[in-house]
Amino acid sequence: MTARERRTRILQMLQLIPILSVLVILFGGALVMALLQSLGFAPWFGINTFPDFSYFGSLWGSQTFWVSLWLTLYYATVSTLLALVFGTMLALALIKAFPGKWLYKYLYKLPLMIPYTVGIALAVIMLSSGGVLSRIVAFAGLIDDPGQFPQILKTHYGWGIIAVYVWKQTPFITLAVYAVLLGIGRETEEAAAILGARRGAIFFRVTLPQILPGIVSSTLICFAFNVGAFEAPFILGGGFPDTLPVVAWRYFNDADYTLQLQGMATVVSIGIVAGVILFAYLWVYRRYERRMGRH
Amino acid sequence: MTQVRLNSVRKQFGNFVAIENLDLDICSGELVALLGPSGCGKTTTLRMISGLERPSNGAILFDGKDVSEQAVQDRNVGMVFQRFALFPHMTVEKNVAFGPSVRGESKAEIARRLDEILEVVQLTQFRTRFPAQLSGGQMQRVAVARTLITKPSILMMDEPLANLDTKLRVEMRRFIRDLQQQFGITTIFVTHDQVEAMELADRVAVIFDGQLAQYDTPERIYRYPRSLDVADFMGATNIYSGKLLSRNRVRTALGDIDCPHQNDRSAGDAVQVLLRAEALDMNIGPFKSAGSGLRGRIMARDFFGASVTYRVACNEQEIDVTENARRMLDVGDDVQLEIAPEQVWLLSG
Repeated sequence: MTARERRTRILQMLQLIPILSVLVILFGGALVMALLQSLGFAPWFGINTFPDFSYFGSLWGSQTFWVSLWLTLYYATVSTLLALVFGTMLALALIKAFPGKWLYKYLYKLPLMIPYTVGIALAVIMLSSGGVLSRIVAFAGLIDDPGQFPQILKTHYGWGIIAVYVWKQTPFITLAVYAVLLGIGRETEEAAAILGARRGAIFFRVTLPQILPGIVSSTLICFAFNVGAFEAPFILGGGFPDTLPVVAWRYFNDADYTLQLQGMATVVSIGIVAGVILFAYLWVYRRYERRMGRH
Repeated sequence: MTQVRLNSVRKQFGNFVAIENLDLDICSGELVALLGPSGCGKTTTLRMISGLERPSNGAILFDGKDVSEQAVQDRNVGMVFQRFALFPHMTVEKNVAFGPSVRGESKAEIARRLDEILEVVQLTQFRTRFPAQLSGGQMQRVAVARTLITKPSILMMDEPLANLDTKLRVEMRRFIRDLQQQFGITTIFVTHDQVEAMELADRVAVIFDGQLAQYDTPERIYRYPRSLDVADFMGATNIYSGKLLSRNRVRTALGDIDCPHQNDRSAGDAVQVLLRAEALDMNIGPFKSAGSGLRGRIMARDFFGASVTYRVACNEQEIDVTENARRMLDVGDDVQLEIAPEQVWLLSG
């Protein structure tokens, strides 16, 4: 290695240090600590039974854990899929010219800039029983009283949670897919049309395979967030059994601080489940990519 | 074999008029170039013929049938895009088989035609490659094969030689010519390069600012441009204003020149005189008597390998002379220029 090459290498290392230190010290360290605590290592609480699998045992042994896990995954998956469908549709529409497009391009990004908490508050205002929507329906005479409006929030169907996630994440997916669409241009779609492909064939055989990288990365981010998010299911959810992040929060917030270890076991469980699902997702996608000849 | 006719076609995007009342007749089996500077509307014209754009006014007829309202998918045309627009996620054979596959052809039929067409474009050994693994020339051949396999009635190409290097251009030009002859398919291509248009086309439609400036054979457009703009675009450099002395002699700043007999002009008419650089003969002496030919001195020399272009000062005017590079004259040499009257072309003006 020449002196010049060595200098370039050192400069490269220096550029990597900030992200590396965040990853290793803050994230990696916290991960190790969480794992240790979930296995009974918390001498500062006067608890040290390491290695102790009873926290995981009692958690995974209870039936409510599995219900919580199901709810967590259900909200996360349904909202991600809905946001994906809406976001892709919006991105495909935005790529074409239409009157008032500039306004649309500005408006659709608004939810990205509005915090989740505000979105949740908006959902409460609009969708709750006694909310604006129920009053409008009652005013229109479709129901006699706003109280008869079907329960949207605080049910285990999680319509409110899903609505907030979809509202917030549709523009995010639109943004990602739109950028990819701009990159690939319209020519392959036009070529397909001239070759005789109808709209459906063009989308599924030409457009979708090309925007897949954008779809995978954006849904990955949304899904990971939805699995771990706390405030929407806490405020808009159906109560016990809660989603896993809410369960963890309740443990952390309990007067009995020793329950923090149980909370850590919950957090680690969320991490394991999310990790397994995301890696499986990526693995399937990579296999597809290889089949398509991309590396 | 399809005949194409554009009947006062007009295309407007918002307030911008891309094409203004264009009439164009393309014979069955003909190879036509739409030539013009970028932004002149030639690509828009091609896209309207293909069905990717709808004309704002006027009609497009295939074999006398109005197809203006017909969807792209139903026109049975083929288009080779400038950047080929291959599907990057499909192998060569998947790309080529795409057309017949979406048209619902049987697997056996697709396989048979695929083998046949890959043989024609000499890509059989590359059939499992992806577009990213091909050279520019190979990608273009895939694009051509992908189009031809659908047996289009009209083949369209957007700047077919623009993305290729010099050696490939020659090869591709022959390839396109041969294919066109072999399949006898009506072919329309767009280019901004007059050399490309002349190399390939049976007829060239020169388009300026959305209007047809001239539609003729390459030779006639080159030798007998109808306007100064066309002459300029075809690369003419020696254009001088002059006045007719008689019906076959014209006075210019260079000197008096014999020209072909002008039936519809008379002595005293103002004209523009076009002298093609390669039509001028350059003598290095001993000079003939005064009165025949133009005396001048070489000011500059550009060497192009096969040809040389000299810039000659002549009566305080400059004139370009191109000749074969069999001899080389030097800057400062005195020369005498002659041009046969039939090589002189006069434009009004």
